[in-house]
Amino acid sequence: MTTAGSEFGSGLREIMPLAAGVVIYGLAFGVLAAQATMGGLETGAMGTFVFAGAAQIVSVERLVAGAGAFAALVAGVALNLRLILVTASIRHFFIGRPWWQIMLVAHFSTDENWAMTMAARKAGRDVGYWHLVGGGTGLFFAWVGSTIIGVLFASAIPEPRALGIDFAFTAAFILIARTLWQGRRDLAPWGTSVAVVGIALWSDWLDPSWALILGGVSGAVIAGVFGDD
Amino acid sequence: MTDVWFLIFGLAVGTFAARLGGILIGQRLPQGGGWARALNALPGTLIIALVAGQLMQGGPDEWIAGALAAATAFATRSLVLTMIVGIAAVYLLRLI
Repeated sequence: MTTAGSEFGSGLREIMPLAAGVVIYGLAFGVLAAQATMGGLETGAMGTFVFAGAAQIVSVERLVAGAGAFAALVAGVALNLRLILVTASIRHFFIGRPWWQIMLVAHFSTDENWAMTMAARKAGRDVGYWHLVGGGTGLFFAWVGSTIIGVLFASAIPEPRALGIDFAFTAAFILIARTLWQGRRDLAPWGTSVAVVGIALWSDWLDPSWALILGGVSGAVIAGVFGDD
Repeated sequence: MTDVWFLIFGLAVGTFAARLGGILIGQRLPQGGGWARALNALPGTLIIALVAGQLMQGGPDEWIAGALAAATAFATRSLVLTMIVGIAAVYLLRLI
């Protein structure tokens, strides 16, 4: 048996390499938030209460691109729906815990600390709730801190578009797509997604934000109906 | 309420609902099968849809810069390098 404190500490230590990667995304998000004329307070509030990197990046990028706030929100929430699967897979950690501990770890559950704790358990270590919370705490401060630092520095850049910074997020999304690609089984869903966006935009049927939501959902439906486990 | 605060509030509620939902109704969720596959595929299909849309709205400058950024992403898997190559390429191409 490990005590809660030592389990928390080892989770916090072991997340550090992943938290360093999160800082890079956080600084990049800050640059984007500045383009949406967000300040330190708004950026800090978003990081604190949302705490989901990719969804924050996508939805704020949509705002900057001139989408309505509602379309930006739907895109962000859609990107986070699979967190249901993340917390469902670790729900046995929470049985019998007080409600505030359940709320805390629910908010702190991300792909990074989930993967860390799962890997530790696979290696035979008796870790669970507090290991996950320790990792989540490290990620939380890395994310909120780096996004605020990013937005404060980026607000000083005078003309982002003239410097090509508007393209930085297309480049970032290309890299994120690379990390999400899981091999050939993604080919049909991703192909469907691109084709639907292409048709929707080319025919002027939907504005870009709704086109991307329709494309993403269409691709996911193809994965659900025709994929195999 | 401004767009930004609307987005912060909406994302906070939607994201927390997804996280808490997994804990509360996790037992009744299928762990495999079509629904799980679709939910797992959704981030990737949304991101690639976003990239496709952005590139379609751009011109040849953005297409070339996008191809260079994609090559960098595949070769290095580095966010910083991919962003630097993308920004530098589009900056230089727009100068020409």
